[in-house]
Amino acid sequence: MTRLLRLAAVILFAVLAGAPLRAETPDAALATLLAEARMKVPAECEQPSADRLVRILCVKRIRIGIRDYYPLFAERRDEQRFGYEVDVAEAIGRMLGVAVEFVRVNAATRVPLLAEDRVDLVIATMGHNTQRDRQVRFIRPHYYRSETTVVGPRELPVASILDLPGRTICVTVGNGSNAELVSQGARLMLFDEAGVLPDRLKDRTCALAAQDDSFFAKYFTEPDFRARYSQKFGFAQVPWGMAVARQGSSELARALDLVSQIFHRDGLFVDIGRLHSIGLGFLVEQQQVWRRPACNTAEGNRDPACVLPPLNAALQPTSFAPQVAAVEDWVEAKSGVDLQLPMLKTVPAWSLFQDGVAYTLVLIAGALAATLGFALLLGAAMGARTPLLRWPARLVTMTLQSSPIVLTLVIAAAIAHGLFVVTTPVLLGAAIAALGLTNGSNAGQAIGEAMWSLRAEGVSGAGLFGRAVGRASTQIVAFLVNAAKGTPIASFIGAPELLSTLTDITSFSSGRATTYTILLVFYTVVVMGVVWLCGRLQRWLERRTAAP
Amino acid sequence: MSDLVHGLSGDFLARFLGGMALNFEIAAIALLIGLALGFVLALGRLAGGVAGAASLSLVSLMRAAPTFVVMFFLLNALPRDATLFGRPFALSGVMTVALSLVPYSAAYVGDAALDALRHLRAGTTHGALLFLPNVTRAFFVLVMSSSAGAAIGVTEAITVILREAEHLPELGDRLVLFGLGIVLFGIPLQVAFALIGAIQRRVARVTAARAM
Repeated sequence: MTRLLRLAAVILFAVLAGAPLRAETPDAALATLLAEARMKVPAECEQPSADRLVRILCVKRIRIGIRDYYPLFAERRDEQRFGYEVDVAEAIGRMLGVAVEFVRVNAATRVPLLAEDRVDLVIATMGHNTQRDRQVRFIRPHYYRSETTVVGPRELPVASILDLPGRTICVTVGNGSNAELVSQGARLMLFDEAGVLPDRLKDRTCALAAQDDSFFAKYFTEPDFRARYSQKFGFAQVPWGMAVARQGSSELARALDLVSQIFHRDGLFVDIGRLHSIGLGFLVEQQQVWRRPACNTAEGNRDPACVLPPLNAALQPTSFAPQVAAVEDWVEAKSGVDLQLPMLKTVPAWSLFQDGVAYTLVLIAGALAATLGFALLLGAAMGARTPLLRWPARLVTMTLQSSPIVLTLVIAAAIAHGLFVVTTPVLLGAAIAALGLTNGSNAGQAIGEAMWSLRAEGVSGAGLFGRAVGRASTQIVAFLVNAAKGTPIASFIGAPELLSTLTDITSFSSGRATTYTILLVFYTVVVMGVVWLCGRLQRWLERRTAAP
Repeated sequence: MSDLVHGLSGDFLARFLGGMALNFEIAAIALLIGLALGFVLALGRLAGGVAGAASLSLVSLMRAAPTFVVMFFLLNALPRDATLFGRPFALSGVMTVALSLVPYSAAYVGDAALDALRHLRAGTTHGALLFLPNVTRAFFVLVMSSSAGAAIGVTEAITVILREAEHLPELGDRLVLFGLGIVLFGIPLQVAFALIGAIQRRVARVTAARAM
């Protein structure tokens, strides 16, 4: 008998070992997980160490943080909530067999509310990036994916990110994709809220606007908006994740991973998405992924071949970032001033800042030299006896005087674009030429008038021009100072001087107030330095004129 | 040229004139505030002593502050929830541009008013009257400078031109449009400067006649 039993055991082992292994399905794993959790109810309901999944099953209710106004995704009218995320939340409640209690969250509160245990789960348009990975536990697979889309009038010839250099794009402060737009040579116009962007497109304040495609999705359901505007291109894709707290939610997270996986495989996300007219591309793609046998397993949501990685949004800190942070804290502790120095804390920002300072100094030196050069040239022409020189010079001066500096800069940039490939030196050159011509023509007029007044006094000969320059020294100095003061306006054509670079830095970091205060102080001090230098030049010119 | 005319929006001229009206409005606001501040600074400098030194320092600072940077400072450094006398104090785009021009206008008016007050003290009324053409010149400089509003989306005249230019694919057409803008800006400006020159010459003649 014993021999027979041993033989039976050997045969059974051989059969089991030889049979192909079948991986556990997500459905079975979820059923097991929920069954095990239910077995802990009510025994562990009062235990503080109980997982959130058990506590949810104890109270038969899950608290889900959701947005109140994010068109197509989560909206609220009185007590009625609707949208893609709302329906996903309801489906999760049904899957777990519990009621859903919605809690209002926004971009600022969704993470803290999880940490404070005021919600169990957040489904609130939250992009999954490496920085947030440290704060919350994201549910994978992701339930949606957005990308930054660039929207503009249909007739505007913009087809890719390569068409952006020199163009102004309206964006919201802190948008993760701003750094990429900056790196492509676009100029940014910053807004605090995305909600104003469609209106700014309509009133033509913005020729282009960049924002999540999920944000613009609602507007493209409006026939009028769709007739006038189009999505030019998309970039910077970000997967959206539901999230639970990092502490005490491991079983809940595991259950939701499986739920999300099942929803993708069975096409529930696609169906809900279609119901709310959101973009379905990602959801259809994901359905194919989760139908694959290799991914349709209980462990599929941990397989890098099936799940998407988070967006790597971390910027490399500078070697002295800790010291900068210490200084910020010290200033705040001593004075209560919330000092923030983003330009010193990350490598890209620090690099932009250094370049900005260097280009600003080049721009100022160039603008001063160009102003002086054009002043002498146009002054000599306007003071000439021959009308062939005098009248063209006067016409140029009158034209430049009639053109606002912004327009002169744009004309210089347009000509530079037509003649050369757009590079930083070309933009700086265009700005220097525009500033030099505008201010030099005015100073040149003063020199020309001084030449004529000296002739009227009977002065002539070789020293006439030199004396005229001395006589016009006050005007020359005034316009040199004006040229130095005007250099920040070069940012309008995309010249990467300090105003331009700091605007770029603040578009992807915090500390706008401090940054622009530093900028104002920097330029004021530089201009005061120029005033002092010009004062010395003026005294030298006056002494030279007074000398016999 | 005819291609350009066809390429322009039907309401371009109306929008341009509306934009220009905004340029004048911004300049007027900046000048009014500048007049009030400038006179106080001129009186301070005339008084001498501590008030004089403080006024001079303030004028030097205001002369050195670049308008464009001041505009971005006002736009970004002021908290969105700022209050003034307990009321919300959010600057509109127009007010942001106008206030950014105030340091220039106050410093300019301060200098011109100081000259005028000194002339008045010396009994040369006609010399003091030069204050009026000087302020008029400052007004037109402010009109031109208000085009900086284009950088923050204020729909002034240059903004209208630049938006129109976005729809013109040919560089030549865009340059013609820009030229048109210069002409439209230049006419009132050159007329104003010619008038100012005529007034100044007349004042100078009257002053010279009185002196004889």
